[in-house]
Amino acid sequence: MKPDLEDIDGALSELVIETVDTPVVILGADGSIVRFNSASERLTGYFADEAIGRKVWDFLIIEKERDTVKSIFEKTQGENTPTHFTNFWKTKDGQQRRIEWSNNTIRNKLGDVSYILATGIDVTDQVATEFALAETQAYLRSIIDACPVAVITINEQGLIQSFSTEAEHCFGYREAEAIGRNVNILIPEPGHSQHDRYIKHYLETGEKKIIGRARPIFAKRENGEKFPAMLHVSEFKDGTRIFVGFVEDLTHQRMTERRLEETQFQLQHAGRIGAMGEIATSIAHELNQPLTAAASLAGAVSLNLKKTDYPETKDAIELLEDVVGEIRRASEIIRQMRDFIRKRKTEKSLHRVNKVVEEATAVALIGAESAGIKLETDLVEGLGELQMDRIQIQQVLVNVIRNAVDAMQETTEKRLKISTSRIGGFVEIRVEDTGPGITDEMMKRLFEPFATSKESGMGIGLSISKTIIDAHQGKINAINKESGGCVFTINLPEGAYDEAAKRR
Amino acid sequence: MTRPQNAGRGAVFLVDDDVAVQRGVAALLTAAEYHVETSKSAEEFLSKLESLDRSNAVLLVDICMPGIQGLELQEKLVEDGIDLPVIVMTAHGDIPMAVRAMRNGAIDFLEKPFTVEEVTSALDRALSRPRSANAPARAAQPQLTAKFGTLTPREKEVLQGIVDGDTNKKIARSLDVSPRTVEAHRQKIMIKMDAKSFAELVRMAVTLDMTSR
Ligand SMILES: Nc1ncnc2c1ncn2[C@@H]1O[C@H](COP(=O)(O)OP(=O)(O)OP(=O)(O)O)[C@@H](O)[C@H]1O
Ligand SMILES: [Mg+2]
Repeated sequence: MKPDLEDIDGALSELVIETVDTPVVILGADGSIVRFNSASERLTGYFADEAIGRKVWDFLIIEKERDTVKSIFEKTQGENTPTHFTNFWKTKDGQQRRIEWSNNTIRNKLGDVSYILATGIDVTDQVATEFALAETQAYLRSIIDACPVAVITINEQGLIQSFSTEAEHCFGYREAEAIGRNVNILIPEPGHSQHDRYIKHYLETGEKKIIGRARPIFAKRENGEKFPAMLHVSEFKDGTRIFVGFVEDLTHQRMTERRLEETQFQLQHAGRIGAMGEIATSIAHELNQPLTAAASLAGAVSLNLKKTDYPETKDAIELLEDVVGEIRRASEIIRQMRDFIRKRKTEKSLHRVNKVVEEATAVALIGAESAGIKLETDLVEGLGELQMDRIQIQQVLVNVIRNAVDAMQETTEKRLKISTSRIGGFVEIRVEDTGPGITDEMMKRLFEPFATSKESGMGIGLSISKTIIDAHQGKINAINKESGGCVFTINLPEGAYDEAAKRR
Repeated sequence: MTRPQNAGRGAVFLVDDDVAVQRGVAALLTAAEYHVETSKSAEEFLSKLESLDRSNAVLLVDICMPGIQGLELQEKLVEDGIDLPVIVMTAHGDIPMAVRAMRNGAIDFLEKPFTVEEVTSALDRALSRPRSANAPARAAQPQLTAKFGTLTPREKEVLQGIVDGDTNKKIARSLDVSPRTVEAHRQKIMIKMDAKSFAELVRMAVTLDMTSR
């Protein structure tokens, strides 16, 4: 049953309707289908025969849109211009397709609507793609905004295209202010005025100077402040070229590093002085012993001579007294030398124990020997501050930790545990290792100067440590663990600090 | 245990890890008519303590030894209630260590190397002391407090510096006077306090509880 389409050039329109790849449907004034083109058949799975004569909303429209479609149909009858709307069609096999419709009326000579022409575009896939894209973009954006480094994209002209949340924090511009501006607002001189040239150079030559590698730079905040940062740039092409910059603010890190460097330097210095002092003390002690023996022997001889009554002995006794006098003089010289070398300023003040421990640990673990060592720290909270000479205490910690590192060179399991706690009026710092432990023989002389089992060791690390801990009225001890390895414990009194002892 | 004839002046238990020192000091003390019993470590001394006749005896111990140190040995004796006067031997000029020992209950200290006169007078003083005199908690004797009261404020400051182990130079700097003045003060203090030796002065300061803890 062919409709009677008087005002249309029959053959041509017939051809067009059947050829187009979009659904075309013609409805009668009552809403029943009079024409259902082949694109509609393909789309819905219904043959024209099945569709024609039925009302659209009876089978093609999804339940909840039926009323809407009916009312649109009625509205369309009163209009002369095309109407547009989107709805869902339900295919024979139950799928939903999203269709964008353009409707127009076909009127008879009296002006009454005789047919309604509906041409549609199936936008299901397109919408899905757009939706997916939007979702991906939102997803990407959330990742970028969660990124702890600033993420900034620019185009080939160097103009900012996006500016992440961290970029806002770091640079002080809002994204809205930053977008569209030249990225060189974030770069201090000399880069500021060179940046456009850099991009141009790259675009012309393809020569990568910065793309793909990390590079330390200085960046500039909105308030003009310059700060050290690490920059990574990558590019991606999607028609136009986009450059993505990742900027990591290093201000804090640099400060920590600088402080560690300083501590390391102070420790080295104190270490040298300490070593000299320890050696001087040790020499003074070692020399003083034979001098004491000599003076005593001379005294013994002189006493024995006094018991005889040979007249010659009187002179001899006097000479022996001179001998003792000279020995005393030698002893005095040694003492002065020792006091001179050992003289060092003690900078006693309040320091946070955990911070002192953390810094010393960082310094002690600098160097290749520490590779492969697993560090575990357990610093109890609320330890507070203690009166101490920070550098000296750190010197002790570095000595003990380095010993632990040395001890683990040959072992397969390399675990270093450093912990702090509070035990009955003392703050305890523990350093545990998984090395071979201390030999019985070494254990006896552990804190004595020059006791070492190492080829390049001086054996003064622990003796200095003991001197320092004694001066802090503390205790330092070592025990071998049953499970292997050893534990050094350092106890510092929480309250008392002996004024006199600090001079030692 | 019976004591040989030549133990006329009393017994000295000498503990020093250095063999040469041991031999020299033992020779000196024997020549000076003491009975000498030597040990090369605190541990050795403790192991034979039981078998020793501790009447009219004094312990002369080096403060700086491997293993149990002089101070610890002294603490241990106090803990165990062993009533034995202790004299510690310190390195020359190591006043803070001496002060610590005295605070711990040592009755005297000797700076190495010492003369015959120094060691014999210290030993004789220790031997002639009434027993229990080296119990750690000693009340300041009223006599001593009275003598201390005669010191001028400046002299008290100098004395404080001395027992803290400061050198004359350092005391001079902190009090803003010349080292000579400090030396003069020192002499005055010795006279006023009636101290025959520097060790005695330190001992008095400890008794007066002048040393910081
Ligand atoms: N954690 C440890 N495990 C096993 N042995 C240790 C440990 N710590 C110390 N020792 C032993 O104690 C000795 C003395 O240590 P000390 O730090 O005094 O001197 P050193 O490390 O040999 O030389 P240095 O003067 O360079 O520190 C070491 O040679 C080593 O034999
Ligand atoms: Mg070491």
